[in-house]
Amino acid sequence: MYVSLTESWNLMGGYTGYVSLGHVTFFAIGAYTTALFLNRFGISPFVTALLGGVFAAMVAALVGYPVLRLKGAYFTISTLLLAVVMQLIFMNWEFVGSSTGLWFKLLPVSMETNRLIFYEVMLALATLITLLVRWVEKSKLGAGLIAIREDEDVAKTIGINTPWLKVQAFILGAFFAGIVGGVYGYYMSYIHPDITFNINTSLLILLMAFFGGCHTWAGPLLGAVILSLANQLIVTFIGAEISRILYGLLLIIVIIFMPNGMIEYIKVPEILRKERVP
Amino acid sequence: MLEGAGVTKKFGGLVAVSDFDFSVEQGQIVGLIGPNGSGKTTLFNVITGFYPADGGRIVFKGREITRDKPYQIAKLGIARTFQIVRPLLSLTVLDNVAIAVLYGRENMSGMAKGRMRALEILRFVGLESKKNILAHQLVAAERKRLELARALAIKPEFLLLDETFSGLSDMEIQEAIKLIYRIRDDLGITIFLIEHVMKAVMGTCEKIMVIHYGVKLAEGKPEEVSKNPSVIQAYLGKRHA
Repeated sequence: MYVSLTESWNLMGGYTGYVSLGHVTFFAIGAYTTALFLNRFGISPFVTALLGGVFAAMVAALVGYPVLRLKGAYFTISTLLLAVVMQLIFMNWEFVGSSTGLWFKLLPVSMETNRLIFYEVMLALATLITLLVRWVEKSKLGAGLIAIREDEDVAKTIGINTPWLKVQAFILGAFFAGIVGGVYGYYMSYIHPDITFNINTSLLILLMAFFGGCHTWAGPLLGAVILSLANQLIVTFIGAEISRILYGLLLIIVIIFMPNGMIEYIKVPEILRKERVP
Repeated sequence: MLEGAGVTKKFGGLVAVSDFDFSVEQGQIVGLIGPNGSGKTTLFNVITGFYPADGGRIVFKGREITRDKPYQIAKLGIARTFQIVRPLLSLTVLDNVAIAVLYGRENMSGMAKGRMRALEILRFVGLESKKNILAHQLVAAERKRLELARALAIKPEFLLLDETFSGLSDMEIQEAIKLIYRIRDDLGITIFLIEHVMKAVMGTCEKIMVIHYGVKLAEGKPEEVSKNPSVIQAYLGKRHA
């Protein structure tokens, strides 16, 4: 799950350099859309998860145009506000279950089978999204996004419609996050604004991307896998109380000593080779 | 080809460019000179849409561009370089140019095709051998060439050069002047340039405009302008005029 989320976040945060803390909102909107369509209209899980992605993308399109005019910390703060405000709305909105949350109607199989199915789906989704993000990175869209990150004014002078390109990346990232949210909902079978809109998820996504290295598709993958594993191992073998502290320490170390993420260190031989060519 | 009438730009109470008229004909190389802070770069930023004009009209090939956005102006065929060069540092020299090819007026898709075209442009400006180097590893003169290559990559008809010669050695300036002639003669691109290096301006431009405190002081052939008393006064003070 975190692989998918981090990869989809990276379209905006890594390539374009617009660090968003609102990614969890799209994830949660996906989960809620899915739940509502399933419970009220009885539409199949796999279609509803896609619809979750579509709704998340629509919200991203609405929010994207004004918010993406902001830069740097201002953009980050406004996306943080988006996440907080949306959580409050869902907490108090009867139609979506407000603070009691929503149950999913499960497939007519046991709880374990249900989980297994959606675990498999999540894995497939992570692979698919990673491959898609990799494709974007090598495409014209990716090149344009990187140009925006490097120098937005220069991007404009070479004919890039920067607002439109940024919104595209934002929508695409939200779409993926929405689908992931939908599948997550099925896996957990119960969603609540406190859990789905949790701002910590946004933070974790950001940390995973930075940890792995956010300029390439492989970075977020690496970061999400390693940090998820590290978290589990620490909780299992050392204890939950101390896990957060160790976790934080690990991050500080990586950010100080590997500012471009771990992926930089893994790729070093390749970079050296590149420099020798000319 | 490019004309401006009454172009004005204010920053608060400061009038950076005041009621400025200019015109550049197709195939010309026109220079814009003036002391520091006289409004040269501001005028370029207004033309390219980075600053909205507070007054006046700018017309390119019969089409008004005064309110257009920078990327729209680029698509119409006006390219620019920046005074302080701004390469996309973490990318290779080739990709710097390739991205401009993809999003420029040729509007290609596919990095591979873009890179092929970019290679031709790098060959034209003489940076082919550096194509796989990261842009931040280039020295100053090479960065200027890259800046030019990126501007050429959008396939412009009109090129605005902001102090392309500054910080170059005499020999590098000679080469850069040759390159500018080739851009005009081989590629048929009209050039409007800001310059401080007098030798370069006098040698290359057919027409020179002098701007001082945002106002046009003089306009004409290089030798006429250099003898104009108000120009000498602006540069050297009253005593010399």
